[in-house]
Amino acid sequence: MIAPTWTVRIVHLVIAVVVLFVVLEGRLWSLQAIQGPHYLRLSEQNRLRDYVVRAPRGVIYDRRGQPLVTNRAAFTISVLPMEVRDRPRLADTLAPLLGLDRAEILSRLDAGRRQRPFEPVALRRDASKTVVMTVEEHRLDLPGVIVQAEPVRDHLQGGFAAHAIGYLGEITEDDLRLRPGYRQGDLIGKVGVERIYDKILRGADGRLQVEVDATGRPGRVLGREVARSGQSLVLNIDAGLQAIAEEGLRGRTGAVVALDPRNGEILVLASTPAFNPNVFSGGISPENWKRLTGDRGLPLLNRATEAAYEPGSVFKIVTGTAALGEGIAHRGSLFNCTGAYRLGGWVFRDLAAYGTVNFIRGTQVSCNVMFWTLGRALGEGPIERWAKLLGLGRPTGADVAAEAAGLIPSAAWKVRTVKEPWYPGDTLNMAIGQGWVLVTPLQVARMVGVIATGGTMVRPRLARRVLASDGTEVMSWAPEIVERVPLPEHVVRTMQEGLRAVVDGGTGRAAAVPGLAIAGKTGSSENPRGIPHAWFAGYAPADNPALVVVVFVEHGWRGGVRAAPIARAIFAAASQSLLSQSGGGRP
Amino acid sequence: MRAKWARDVDWLLLGVTAALVLYGVVMLVSATRGTPEGAAFLRARLLHLVIGLVALIAAASIDYRRLAAWTPMLYAATLLLLASVLILGEARLGAQRWLLLGPLGGFQPSELAKLAIIVTLARHLDSFKTLPRLRSLVPFGTHVALPMLLILRQPDMGTALVLLGILAAMLYVAGARPRDLAAVAAAAAGALPLFWNFLHDYQRRRLAAFWDPTADPLGAGYALIQAKIAVGSGQLFGKGLFAGTQNLLRFIPEQHTDFIFTVVGEELGLFGATVLLILYLVWVWRALAIAAGARDRHGALIATGIATMVAFHVVVNVGMTIGLMPVTGIPLPLLSYGGSSLLTTLAGTGMLLGIWHRRTGL
Repeated sequence: MIAPTWTVRIVHLVIAVVVLFVVLEGRLWSLQAIQGPHYLRLSEQNRLRDYVVRAPRGVIYDRRGQPLVTNRAAFTISVLPMEVRDRPRLADTLAPLLGLDRAEILSRLDAGRRQRPFEPVALRRDASKTVVMTVEEHRLDLPGVIVQAEPVRDHLQGGFAAHAIGYLGEITEDDLRLRPGYRQGDLIGKVGVERIYDKILRGADGRLQVEVDATGRPGRVLGREVARSGQSLVLNIDAGLQAIAEEGLRGRTGAVVALDPRNGEILVLASTPAFNPNVFSGGISPENWKRLTGDRGLPLLNRATEAAYEPGSVFKIVTGTAALGEGIAHRGSLFNCTGAYRLGGWVFRDLAAYGTVNFIRGTQVSCNVMFWTLGRALGEGPIERWAKLLGLGRPTGADVAAEAAGLIPSAAWKVRTVKEPWYPGDTLNMAIGQGWVLVTPLQVARMVGVIATGGTMVRPRLARRVLASDGTEVMSWAPEIVERVPLPEHVVRTMQEGLRAVVDGGTGRAAAVPGLAIAGKTGSSENPRGIPHAWFAGYAPADNPALVVVVFVEHGWRGGVRAAPIARAIFAAASQSLLSQSGGGRP
Repeated sequence: MRAKWARDVDWLLLGVTAALVLYGVVMLVSATRGTPEGAAFLRARLLHLVIGLVALIAAASIDYRRLAAWTPMLYAATLLLLASVLILGEARLGAQRWLLLGPLGGFQPSELAKLAIIVTLARHLDSFKTLPRLRSLVPFGTHVALPMLLILRQPDMGTALVLLGILAAMLYVAGARPRDLAAVAAAAAGALPLFWNFLHDYQRRRLAAFWDPTADPLGAGYALIQAKIAVGSGQLFGKGLFAGTQNLLRFIPEQHTDFIFTVVGEELGLFGATVLLILYLVWVWRALAIAAGARDRHGALIATGIATMVAFHVVVNVGMTIGLMPVTGIPLPLLSYGGSSLLTTLAGTGMLLGIWHRRTGL
């Protein structure tokens, strides 16, 4: 029997089918055998999500172990950019809920999607309970939105020592580039010890590897790396003295610095007006940020370290030391304080006439004529040299995030910057801390410390010790003596005697504390912006100095009136411990 | 000595069919595991199997030659049923393909229509002994075009394309001149741009996604990308039965119906996929062998139609899953969840068995 004609054509069909199946098999081979590992990786990426588990930051204590900053449990609302299907709709839903701008949400999502599509983008830190509950309830309608437990900073006393401690914020692109080991979205200290000691405080974030389904809902936990909480930082700050300083400055603009001149421990670092760092804890709102940065009082400015001011008569410590050191004057040198000083055709007027005074008396009453005379004899060069010798004109190197250098002028500087020659009148101004001279309260504190200790120049330090989370000490800072300033014994003794006289019946008597020997110098520095700044810089006990206090009140008028009483309050509070450690001071 | 009827049963075809059905049940269990409806899917599948088995036996027992007299009736009934879907049918996933049949759930007439068109077209073709010129193809084109247009209206482009494939294969086996078929194919290809205008938006997006799935990774390209990831990540031997992460975590839409092959590829790897393709190849080869061995041209044409139908489904379904073809929603025969498709394939298998059974004159 001959096969019917169609059988041949059916054979053709069989061949066609076989060919098509071979094509399918070839494609499967390429997908599974050759590109298999690639697709396996993709499928793992699909289902695995790495969540960062924030490590609790270390606690910040004062020198006696009183906690200043701790952490508070809080929740962060984040979005996983890759899980979001309908971004505009999600932004519409979230904007009113989180109190954020719709455009802001979209731009942050887009940025996250471009840079790290599988990492959560934090939209609202420290979300309120209502917001967290609303988000949890609408979990299914908000694919890609997750709620993460993320502790936030809790400044227990609000703005207390705000400038010394600082605050946190999301890391900037610049910091990300400059500081290795940080990731996008990390919180980092912006100022204060939070910034300087960020590495110590931050600890190590943990990771949570979670399996998710196609809608991004988390399921099984496949792996976890436990977060290591940050180490705690004990500051040299004495909360009791700090509180007194802040109380003294209340309602005024100014700064207080107190340090131990023997080892540089900063016991007080206050600046007013201050701010409440808690407003930064959940990510600062635009309104709050605008309020802080737009405030004419500049609450974010740390006036103790970041701003430089005319020192006025406080600078006479430099001029006096220079004159003694250069042999131009000694304890018994006599000056005729007539109330006016003649320079060529100019007459420089003093506040009052004090008659004939010796060096001690001249210092006690802050006789301008005496210091003009000394300055004129010294010349601007030696004053500049001695000022720098005493640590002015350059940052102290303290562990504060931002520090101004201040300014000690010279003839060359004036020609270069002001484009004018140095006049003899400039020297007279410089001798009493006016004119171009600019210092920070912290610099003044260290300078006074050098006189008080007879030449020990320290590096001021806020940080004292580092504690592990179980409270054991990890490290502590040894006092750092930057240098020994070569001051002859008689120079120190005479200068100290003069400063002692200032508080003991002189311009600084408002700083006196019965039973405690205090030395110091007042200042009322004229400035181009308004009434004079009030200064007081002193130390105690006078015979065995353990505490330097510098008080600066912006436009406070007279140092002896406005600044010295604040210093007195601090000295009074510290007197018990000062007297016990020094074995009794002179009455 | 075995009974004569037993010798007349194509045990290989039956065995391969059973193997595929079993394969499908296992994959269905895997694809629906962990969903609340998992057990319901399995129960429904077993019910469909019972109905399908009845249909298979019935189709095997009916002598296809006796159907000849019913051809006009069958054809009219098919058109009527397809038209009724457009009026009464239920829309799912953007298309109106289903008739609700109470406890049996939805019924897709376009599935069974394929079988009816094969049977009526075979009879129609058989009534012309030769197809000597291009013009002689026109009646058969019309024969298929009418139900096809109704199916396109649903819209169900995949099934419509299957019908074109069946028509081409049956015309070829019936003796159409290759150059006539080539001319028609060329004309159809030329008309494709025109066709674009009649497409629905979602169909256009699918076509665009086929060219570049990454253009819209979370939209039209999503299923394609995820399907490729699933199949590719299975590598040589798969992630293990019930262990496919793409499957378990529901990354693939329609994974128990049109995208069931992704579960095979992911969990059983190239090995499992190859076994599956071999089973299909054996099935199609047996169907075409039955066509070749049929006692008459009529039977050969029916068998060719059924073989082409299954082969076309497999190639297009697997092809779309692994990114060789645009996404068209057609099921993988015997594996995809869906009663109408299973019923159609099992009834077709029954007809093949009947044709084989009657290969020597009775």
